[in-house]
Amino acid sequence: MPLGIKIAWSFLGVLVAIAYGLVIAGIIRKVMARIQGRIGPPVWQQFIDLGKVIFQRTATRHGWMFYLAPIFRAGGGIGLYLLIPVVIGVPALSNFSFNGDLLLVMYFIFFGSLGMALGAADSGHPHSPIGISRGLSQMTAYELPFALAMVALAAQVHSFSIHDIIMAQQGGILHWNLFANPLAAIAAFIAFLGMNMYAPFNIVGAPQEIPVGPPTEYNSIFLSLMMSGRAILAVAKIVLYMDLFLGGAHSILAAFVKTIIIYFWSVFVGAVFPRFRTEQAVRFFLGWPTVAGIAGVLLVLIR
Amino acid sequence: MDNKPKSTLPVLVEPPKGAQPHGPLGHGYFLGETKRQQALPMRESLAKIKNWFRANSLWVMAYGTGCGGIELRPLTTARFDFERFGMAMRPTPRQSNVIIISGYLAVKSLKRVIRAYEQMPSPKWVVGLGSCTINGGMYWDSYNTINRLDLYVPVDIYIAGCMPRPEALLAGFGELMKMIKRGEANGWNHYLENFDWYKENQKKVINDWNMPDYNW
Amino acid sequence: MMHILDEIRERFGAEWQNEQRPDLLQIGVQAKTIVPLLTWLKAHTPFVQLTHLSAVDWIEDGEFQLTYLLTDPKAHVSLMVCTRIDREQAEAESIHALWPQAVTYEQEINEMFGIHFPGSPRQGVPFILEGWNDIPPMRRDFDTVAYMNSHHPSRPGREHTDPRAYIGKVFGERGYLHDDD
Repeated sequence: MPLGIKIAWSFLGVLVAIAYGLVIAGIIRKVMARIQGRIGPPVWQQFIDLGKVIFQRTATRHGWMFYLAPIFRAGGGIGLYLLIPVVIGVPALSNFSFNGDLLLVMYFIFFGSLGMALGAADSGHPHSPIGISRGLSQMTAYELPFALAMVALAAQVHSFSIHDIIMAQQGGILHWNLFANPLAAIAAFIAFLGMNMYAPFNIVGAPQEIPVGPPTEYNSIFLSLMMSGRAILAVAKIVLYMDLFLGGAHSILAAFVKTIIIYFWSVFVGAVFPRFRTEQAVRFFLGWPTVAGIAGVLLVLIR
Repeated sequence: MDNKPKSTLPVLVEPPKGAQPHGPLGHGYFLGETKRQQALPMRESLAKIKNWFRANSLWVMAYGTGCGGIELRPLTTARFDFERFGMAMRPTPRQSNVIIISGYLAVKSLKRVIRAYEQMPSPKWVVGLGSCTINGGMYWDSYNTINRLDLYVPVDIYIAGCMPRPEALLAGFGELMKMIKRGEANGWNHYLENFDWYKENQKKVINDWNMPDYNW
Repeated sequence: MMHILDEIRERFGAEWQNEQRPDLLQIGVQAKTIVPLLTWLKAHTPFVQLTHLSAVDWIEDGEFQLTYLLTDPKAHVSLMVCTRIDREQAEAESIHALWPQAVTYEQEINEMFGIHFPGSPRQGVPFILEGWNDIPPMRRDFDTVAYMNSHHPSRPGREHTDPRAYIGKVFGERGYLHDDD
């Protein structure tokens, strides 16, 4: 496939991923509303919000980092998405996977948060640095089980390529890493709860404490960039988990079903649990999820 | 406490009538109707589309000034649920479109309301909730509450009552959405056009004016 | 609990005393005995908690009344220590050394009544009012209606009705609605 067409397909893929991320965010708002006994907003409410936010004028002036942070956020999401093959065998949706991309993916997942930290510090609102410091401490904590799970998978396949990891899982459900290395899967899926920032790990936005946290000062086009960045980051993360643990996908329908299942794992946990405090969350991630990750690595080494 | 001389009586002038012409459907200064945009063929339809988006995604500033704040909370709960109309509470003025003055407004709160209102990005709307915002209500002779809200910030819609029930609030929001779609909710343009008049009124009641004239 | 009132009268001299309820005692003392009395109460009796400090404007007598409400937290008995101070030279001794929370009460009374507590921190610092430039609003010679009419004018068209006449007109002579109606 020529590079030009590949780039065009990837651009289209990014737009589809943003739309998909907004749709699942809308479904989540609906699900949360139904759990609380409300009717809830329409599923396409996120699109209306995005449009309205774009049509607002802004006069907010802070520093240059303030303007750059949403770009980092959206850029981190798009970069992460472009590295992960979505559907195997469909060239348009297999993106730019290469040997060793797992390391880059592990970096890109946290890239947006780091950019956000710089921008929030520039916005001058006290809630922003508080939210960022809480988020970064939680991130440091859940990165440990996540990285251990990644190491376990890489040691199992003897490769740091996501494509190789998918290919090693073919041939039946029991070949999926979810069952082939359950301890690593447990560690990674618990780290996923922390990554998605739903309860009990929603300590960054913490509605009753630091109302919206880092994006307090962002409005208008900056907010729209952050909303779309968040949407594509969510999609990229669930696609990554599908590739790593659920054997990838050979059709768009399979990818849809598997990603929905992975995402709703965190939503359903989030709907019924209250929030941890920051130090509780850190202690939780450094406790038995980390033990499970280490055991997953050992399991691979012993076999 | 020393007895300083009483402040001079305010001389209230009616706001200048006959506002300058807006763009189509309520587009004003902050939406920048430039000459080039005025020549666009689709500008009426585009304005309608934008207003539809705005009306269906009202984000309310979560700020209760008076006892009416207690009537806002049920709106988010299962019984009344204003999220089905696309509304949500935002705790920061930077991301809100609607500020609700919920009941009596002390002069001290008025200062904060002005700050929050001016920090909100345009277009923005003000909902006066309860009799106190219209004419002082039962607190009309209190020493520290204002009587007429529309002297200080432009009010797009009043919801009368003491207190109006959440159903009345929902009806008021529905009316506000209709006004936005028709392009009639133009308080934010009125504020910019009569900025000096509003500032004069605000400074008459806020004696320790220790903030900039416009809060960006 | 009456014995504590008698003991106060013997030690500090009381102008009047009253047992309003079994759990609410009142005593009126001279202003100059307030600090010794409260110090003694805090040190030697169960009344260790300052629940409230309030002021009342007795404009006809030309006096302010200060009421210190102390509570025995174990027996749930309250003791109101009342004193009168001159309205023109409105000054009282501060008790912030006994109870630190009294600073806030004294700040508020200073703002709302214009009573000065020498030595108390935050006297004259705005507490509730911001930029107030009239006489303190809780003094009874402050005319709220005139103040409102001059500062916050009403919208034209406000109507006033006499509440008694209006209720009589709407609900009949009895003045209220009954279930039988």
